[in-house]
Amino acid sequence: MPKDQFKNRLEIAKNKLTKRNLYNETENASSIGAAFKLSTELVSAVVVGTIIGFILDKTFGTKPWLILIFFFLGVVTGIMNVIRSAKNMQR
Amino acid sequence: MAANPMTQFEVYRIGPEIKLGTFDISFTNASLFMVISSMAILIIFFFGSKKNSLLPNKVQLLAELSYTFVSKMINDTAGSKAKPYFSLIFSLFMFVLFCNMFGMIPYAFTVTSHIIVTFVLAAFIFIGVTIIGFIKHGVGYLKLFVPSGVPIILLPLIIVIEIISYLSRPISLSVRLFANMMAGHTMMKVFGGFVISLGIVGGWLPLSFSVALTGLEILVAFLQAYVFAILTCIYLNDALNLHH
Repeated sequence: MPKDQFKNRLEIAKNKLTKRNLYNETENASSIGAAFKLSTELVSAVVVGTIIGFILDKTFGTKPWLILIFFFLGVVTGIMNVIRSAKNMQR
Repeated sequence: MAANPMTQFEVYRIGPEIKLGTFDISFTNASLFMVISSMAILIIFFFGSKKNSLLPNKVQLLAELSYTFVSKMINDTAGSKAKPYFSLIFSLFMFVLFCNMFGMIPYAFTVTSHIIVTFVLAAFIFIGVTIIGFIKHGVGYLKLFVPSGVPIILLPLIIVIEIISYLSRPISLSVRLFANMMAGHTMMKVFGGFVISLGIVGGWLPLSFSVALTGLEILVAFLQAYVFAILTCIYLNDALNLHH
């Protein structure tokens, strides 16, 4: 068999394989994974933001202010995370 | 049987008390079930990969199926670049899956229903992925915190938000697994308690709920292991292919 012909066939076969993989990805259970991701994404960002605010408050001694700021930053982050994952899901 | 649905999560010591400095490292029922699940994985893969026959028997089929499943999952989510990390993701997936599944056996202890277990797993993934990112991209990995096309005035705010988002990954990863497992097992116990307290007259309805919940919990046990592994793949993908 000529080498060129073989290469050609290999290329076609590889293309088919990747195409099938992509097709499967949209169908299989990874969408359930994405759905589970959304639910905790929102909460965890708020928790982390609040913890950062609490630690910074302790170190700088600015009792209520940084925790308030970082709490709302955490909320913003959570919403942004959810929007970002949702965008990734639509792609 | 205790009526309190939370007693199933109690960790107690098996055997003698071992102390390392101020840390209590005694062998507990949690450690016992971790050992059991790791042993089960090892045994299945020892016997599954021993014979390599063309026509696989059941154990070999199980080993091969799980191999192709994880391999395909990595290929789909993280691409071919993540192939070297197959062993990490595979062992993580199998460990979480077996811990969840062993927890479904009556009277067994669910290791993953404790946040410290899931958090340690997630924290190691988080640290590992960060190290991989810095090795692959050097200081350029910090570009992950600076999305392109953001006005300069907004940049400090966005960077803080991105850092919080990055730090929230291990929390969300661990809390998801822990909360799902704990809530499910508590619910099963509560319905089981209803069966006992309502007796032979009214106990049939909670009993049917209990059966349905057991099926649901087996699904959740698999799904959560899957989600845990797939999110590890996604984080790995972020570290390997740096684009936002």
